[in-house]
Amino acid sequence: MSETYDFLFKFLVIGSAGTGKSCLLHQFIENKFKQDSNHTIGVEFGSRVVNVGGKTVKLQIWDTAGQERFRSVTRSYYRGAAGALLVYDITSRETYNALTNWLTDARTLASPNIVIILCGNKKDLDADREVTFLEASRFAQENELMFLETSALTGENVEEGFLKCARTILNKIDSGELDPERMGSGIQYGDASLRQLRQPRGTTTQNKQQCNC
Amino acid sequence: MMERAMEQLNVQLNRLTRSLRRARTVELPEDNETAVYTLMPMVMADQHRSVSELLLNSKFDVNYAFGRVKRSLLHIAANCGSVECLVLLLKRGANPNYQDISGCTPLHLAARNGQKKCMGRLLEYNADVNICNNEGLTAIHWLAVNGRTELLHDLVQHVSNVDVEDAMGQTALHVACQNGHKTTVLCLLDSGADINRPNVSGATPLYFACSHGQRDTAQILLSRGSKYLPDKNGVTPLDLCVQGGYGETCEILIQHHGRLFQTLIQMTQNDDIKESMLRQVLEHVSQQSDSHYQRILTSLAEVATTNGHKLLSLSSSYEAQMKSLLRIVRIFCHVFRLGPSSPNNGNDMGYNGNKTARSQVFKPLELLWHSLDEWLVLISTELDRNRNNPSSPSSSSEIASLLLKQREVEHSSSAPKLPSLLDPQIVMETEVYADGEDVISMTANRLSAVIQAFYMCCSCQMPQGSVVSLHLPSVIQNPINTQRMTSPRFIEFVCKHDEVLKCFVTRNPKIIFNHFHFLLECPELMSRFMHIIKGQPFKDRCEWFYEHLLAGQPDSDMVHRPVNENDILLIHRDSIFRSSCEMVSKSTNEKLKQGIAVRFHGEEGMGQGVVREWFDILSNEIINPDYALFTQSADGTTFQPNSNSSVNPDHLNYFRFAGHILGLALYHRQLVNIYFTRSFYKHILGIPVNYQDVSSIDPEYAKNLQWILDNDISDLGLELTFSVETDVFGAMEEVPLKPGGTSILVTQDNKAEYVQLVTELRMTRAIQPQINAFLQGFHTFIPASLIQLFDEYELELLLSGMPEIDVQDWCRNTEYTSGYDPQEPVIQWFWQVVTGLTQEERVLLLQFVTGSSRVPHGGFAYLMGGSGLQKFTVAAVPYTSNLLPTSSTCINMLKLPEYPSQEVLRDRLLVALHCGSYGYTMA
Repeated sequence: MSETYDFLFKFLVIGSAGTGKSCLLHQFIENKFKQDSNHTIGVEFGSRVVNVGGKTVKLQIWDTAGQERFRSVTRSYYRGAAGALLVYDITSRETYNALTNWLTDARTLASPNIVIILCGNKKDLDADREVTFLEASRFAQENELMFLETSALTGENVEEGFLKCARTILNKIDSGELDPERMGSGIQYGDASLRQLRQPRGTTTQNKQQCNC
Repeated sequence: MMERAMEQLNVQLNRLTRSLRRARTVELPEDNETAVYTLMPMVMADQHRSVSELLLNSKFDVNYAFGRVKRSLLHIAANCGSVECLVLLLKRGANPNYQDISGCTPLHLAARNGQKKCMGRLLEYNADVNICNNEGLTAIHWLAVNGRTELLHDLVQHVSNVDVEDAMGQTALHVACQNGHKTTVLCLLDSGADINRPNVSGATPLYFACSHGQRDTAQILLSRGSKYLPDKNGVTPLDLCVQGGYGETCEILIQHHGRLFQTLIQMTQNDDIKESMLRQVLEHVSQQSDSHYQRILTSLAEVATTNGHKLLSLSSSYEAQMKSLLRIVRIFCHVFRLGPSSPNNGNDMGYNGNKTARSQVFKPLELLWHSLDEWLVLISTELDRNRNNPSSPSSSSEIASLLLKQREVEHSSSAPKLPSLLDPQIVMETEVYADGEDVISMTANRLSAVIQAFYMCCSCQMPQGSVVSLHLPSVIQNPINTQRMTSPRFIEFVCKHDEVLKCFVTRNPKIIFNHFHFLLECPELMSRFMHIIKGQPFKDRCEWFYEHLLAGQPDSDMVHRPVNENDILLIHRDSIFRSSCEMVSKSTNEKLKQGIAVRFHGEEGMGQGVVREWFDILSNEIINPDYALFTQSADGTTFQPNSNSSVNPDHLNYFRFAGHILGLALYHRQLVNIYFTRSFYKHILGIPVNYQDVSSIDPEYAKNLQWILDNDISDLGLELTFSVETDVFGAMEEVPLKPGGTSILVTQDNKAEYVQLVTELRMTRAIQPQINAFLQGFHTFIPASLIQLFDEYELELLLSGMPEIDVQDWCRNTEYTSGYDPQEPVIQWFWQVVTGLTQEERVLLLQFVTGSSRVPHGGFAYLMGGSGLQKFTVAAVPYTSNLLPTSSTCINMLKLPEYPSQEVLRDRLLVALHCGSYGYTMA
């Protein structure tokens, strides 16, 4: 019947128009490159269940339009996201320069704890590169972001980007830094843990009390 | 020799006496088959002495199996609890493990029927408790099925394997759980039954308890540490509880497995689960405590928000997401309205009121409403941008511009005014979409569905005010219309996004029927869209009308089969009006809505035909002149309230009853046999009457009013004032039309007002009490907001049905003028087109030209115009591109342009019929 997973994470894909956000999502979900991709209207949606460190995690991914005219619409989707892929195009300095704005948006509108991975997309177009790996990784370091260069065309590092982000969130849950029970955390429990037959503690005694009344 | 004979005789005599004394044979027949049938009744009655006596010295085989199922007498004894016979048979060597044709031993039968003593004895004689019947059932299965715990106790210690499986892999524990035998379950568990044992399809004891909603059993299993396991198809115990609507069992599952709560909430997204069952379960769980209530609603709100966001994402399936969102929101609103189990914090329901815990549950949805708002703002921006950067008209606006052109050439006063759908502003809007086309067309449906969800959430927070619709005494009970006020927040929302909403609706008016149901509940919002609604096909509006009329009613048949004899309306034919009035007023409105069952006194018949007949006869009675309720209009076929009806002192009650009956008929789609005047239909609809309506009661006077309007009255010296003289019981009295009217002169400038006021006086004020009483009755079944969907012509169709139109008769009685003659190709085409029209379209055409949907008695030859007989006439009009046909109803004239082809003629005629036939309402 319903899908089985341990956790559900809400993810965002953000960044300027034309950086290849939808293609990244498409590559991640369908495992192929989206040939004639149009500008996204508003927000698109995709999901995939992945296995991270022995846990099954359902990624619920909201792929936002990069165009300015959709900005207020897309912003309304930020709330309660657990992770984000912040995407720029390595062949366009303009998209790189806009990163600070996107970052502020994400941290203020989603959650200060949001786990963000910076993705320099279109790695395959190295000849037209306008942003070096070094300066981008410095930017990432300064802003406490993870960083990868990706190619939605070849699929290079696409899976890694999403998984790395998910893994970091899982680690934060394990370390107690993130509390899935908190509202707006962007994390939900699935019921897979149940199917592995774990008994919640203390329920038996509690029930007896309720029965007697 | 003699002695032997004597002896034999004695023996025989002895037998005879014994036999006679016991009223039965005293000797078993030789063959087993006959013998067993002699013994069987005695065994059943446990007549052990007789049995013992008969068996003594007989050669009967105690293990003889007989009958279809091949049972022995021991089976019979065990089955019936004949313990003495059972022992007797055992002593005589009956096999305690003998199996009948289905594999059952006597022990099985004793267990099944709970024959405790028999069971005990069978065990003493070493009956094998582990034998399975052909279905694999053992004695303990039988005990478990029927919950015979005490017996099970005795038996279970003899059982080698308490988890013995039947052919389906089911253990005694499985069947006990399924049947909810608590003590049996405990006994089996105490005897070491495997609490998690799956059957062949992977179903565990907990699974069975849940599949049958056995809450106590589920509780026992869970508190004993039962695992939560799905079956081999992945169906979980929770799935089963929800499918069955077992709220209590669900609640117990959640108590023990907290995470199932989320799973339960997520199930609202599953299309396969019946909404009613899911709602039932969530309803129950929410009522457990205030915190349950809060948690359920908050979680539902979260799921709804995610679904709403998915719906607003263009890659999702519109249909599936839309249904999912609306389902979740419906459930959410339902649970919210129930309120928490303790009423103490349930009072504040106002949306803008205090942030009490209760309204907090809406909080997660704010994200969705925020997105909705941003989307609508975005669309509005797109519209603006496109407007400043106009492009060529899109195809959707072609028809609009066509009609707009038509308006310019049109001048006939009786020709239909075009719908305000064609306001220049709107037409302009239609033209500018082309650029933002993609965004708007791709999101309009999705946004509309979210708007519907928003409306549902806003209105479920409004207090449910009991608005008593008017004051209704005696005859008909007070209908209590439980109507909610429209939420101020929603009204504000509609006002804010007015432009975008209108744009959506203009582009796809179906959105109104699919998502904008709120219009029906809110007249102030409805009026904004009325012109678009009225522009929709009659059929669609009918569907919408009935969909909402019957919303919330159990699937009502036209005629219901009453379970209760008291629900049948028993009508006396000889006093049909009075007895109907009595019967209907005795019943409740709710019952009458569910269905009507009529029986005429002294007659057998019931059913749809009788109901139809009742409405038919009753409607004829309502207009019976003897009651003086209605008078015939000038044309002799239509009726309207009689201003002198007060000769009957009870007349207002009767009007209320008449309204009641017509409302009821409409509610149940029954046609009545009355045609009212145009003006009375307008009164029912709440549409103002105009001077042309006067012609139905006083055609000459109507002509005079028309004359005043058509001519300059400045220099005529009419010396009219805003007053009329009326004859009140023989004395002339001057009645002012408005305050101080007797001293206000009618001038060229204010003559229109004069005509309107004098029309209202004649048409409305004179029969106001009657109209009001009629409407009170009518609105009991038909809310005013719904009937508004129609114009007076359509209302007539709804109430009295579609008249049959004979095209040949029509054609024979048609005249031609201005250059047309029957041989003209255009005329030939015209009749070919008319022949090809549907019945409904023909009626529209007839209405369009004559103003009436009915053919007079005797056919088209008797068609009446403003001044006597006036045949249907077709007049030629020079053709210019896009010109539509027009009409002059007072002379029954269709002005048909000389179209170049049949296709064009047909096309233009249909446009005129569908857009123009309601135009009179605004003329």
